[in-house]
Amino acid sequence: MSGYVEGIIILLCVNGIAALGVCLLTGFTGIFSLGHAGYMAIGAYTTAIMTLRYGIHWLPAVLAGGLIAMTVSYLIGVPTLKLMGDYYAIASIGLGEAIRLVLENGGNFTRGARGYPGIENFTTLPIAGGFFLVMAVLMFFLVRSNFGRAFKACRDDYIAASLLGFNTARYRVFSLAISGFYCGVAGALMAGFLTFIQPVMFDSGKSTELVAVVVFGGLGSLSGSLLGTMVLTLVTELFRPISQYRMLIYGIILVIIMVARPEGIMGQHELSPRYIKSLFSRKHRTAKATEGGSGL
Amino acid sequence: MDTLVQQIINGLSLGSVYALIAVGYSLVYSILLFSNFSHGGFIVIGGYICYYTLAAMGNNIWLSGFTAVMGAGLIAVLVEFLAYKPIRERTSITLYLLIASMGMSIVIENIFVVTVGGRFRALPPVIPTNPVNFFGLATTSAFDLLSLVTAIVFLAALQLFLTKTKWGLAIRAASYDLRTSGLMGVNVNRLISIVFFVAGFLAAVGGIFLSVRYTLFPQLGGITIKAFVAAVIGGLGSLPGAVLGSLILGLAEMLTAGFISSQLRDIVVFGMLIATLLWRPSGLLGKQISEKV
Repeated sequence: MSGYVEGIIILLCVNGIAALGVCLLTGFTGIFSLGHAGYMAIGAYTTAIMTLRYGIHWLPAVLAGGLIAMTVSYLIGVPTLKLMGDYYAIASIGLGEAIRLVLENGGNFTRGARGYPGIENFTTLPIAGGFFLVMAVLMFFLVRSNFGRAFKACRDDYIAASLLGFNTARYRVFSLAISGFYCGVAGALMAGFLTFIQPVMFDSGKSTELVAVVVFGGLGSLSGSLLGTMVLTLVTELFRPISQYRMLIYGIILVIIMVARPEGIMGQHELSPRYIKSLFSRKHRTAKATEGGSGL
Repeated sequence: MDTLVQQIINGLSLGSVYALIAVGYSLVYSILLFSNFSHGGFIVIGGYICYYTLAAMGNNIWLSGFTAVMGAGLIAVLVEFLAYKPIRERTSITLYLLIASMGMSIVIENIFVVTVGGRFRALPPVIPTNPVNFFGLATTSAFDLLSLVTAIVFLAALQLFLTKTKWGLAIRAASYDLRTSGLMGVNVNRLISIVFFVAGFLAAVGGIFLSVRYTLFPQLGGITIKAFVAAVIGGLGSLPGAVLGSLILGLAEMLTAGFISSQLRDIVVFGMLIATLLWRPSGLLGKQISEKV
């Protein structure tokens, strides 16, 4: 396999892990965040600083990156997730930007805006693939567990969920913390893949991309998010020869998807043999008709 | 003392430009209840129209300023018609509008990158920037005073429009309940077009002043993030709140830059946002939201 293809597959795995995290938060818990690149930055910088400055092996460094991102997102989530709707979305822009600015002004510790070079190239294909598989399987189990149902209940009707005795604020914070962990690990693996990180890599454009992927794939569908990651990563790679039009095309696709098929590629379905079969039968149409809106 | 007065004038001037942007953003939010991220695009559109008409029509700021604000207003209406109208007619889920507006902001920014290139352009010196003595208290730039006065004029005009005209009444009614005002006979589609026109118009006024202050480039629209922050600090959907938040933000930014460090000014801005949300989630002048069950 050529190095280029291998690189793309690693990138897909890393972006896929981040997309799973954002999908849990946005797709299953119904919280819209525009600052998740900040958690990736925390993961990436933790790993870079731990491996280079303190000479720690990369595996604990990656896990620490995820855990620190999780801790930060938990601390941020406790007060801010009391807010519903767009308030959190805008707060999260501020949080993401604040994390980036702190890294940029971190002096010698984060090496500022020039970036952090010389990180060990530990993210090989088996490692990225292994992390991706383990985290994807865990996420599929989580979504199907009691926790997953509680998250969905918070999304669909948080008043009803709290009347049933769920502490919705706590579930929302849990969801944010888990998604922070996933993004932290993705950022750490990204650092190991690129061997060089810079605060500007984790700006609001990256956060937008993370959300776009999830919406594009279908809110409330893990396989849809992964499909969305694949399509948008490959689109950006395919249009590399006409790179100046790349972002333009990307934006147009985003608008067209929202106008033409706002529920995303997969809607709320998972890509399973049963779903594929139902696409070709009449049952699908009647099921779709009775299902109604996604209620987000 | 001299520096303090000077920084306060600078801060008020910057804050008043933010206010022009934040008010339009808040107006759209109060009607359609979504964060219009393509609002930054209207700033850039205004700036570029002004730049090119200045070059074409021989540095007449009145004429090209007028073309710029009208052009940006019309493009804002067009954006609403193309991207948001099909979505809001089909569903009431504002998240889809939010994502479409993020896509639109990427599209507008990159249309300029592709067509005119990403380089920085300076507007010809049509707005005086020479230093003036401010009542013997401080020396400040004529540009700062001019942008402050212009912003006050436009904000006052908006206030008059909203309180004295029939459409202003309709807009205020729609900000309480769009559906009901539609049932009362307001042409909702035309109302939303007017709101977008006003938002684009005010954003372009801000855009002209910002492109004199920071030069003009396709990513200039990113500055709206400060206007969003200002709108949230003041209370989302509240116009006096947007103005108050913008002035506070402009002052905080300039005082930090003047007395502490200009690198910290953005951290202070976002820190203020977080602090406000922790202390008063609905903003300084926002309506206390009570959930209807």
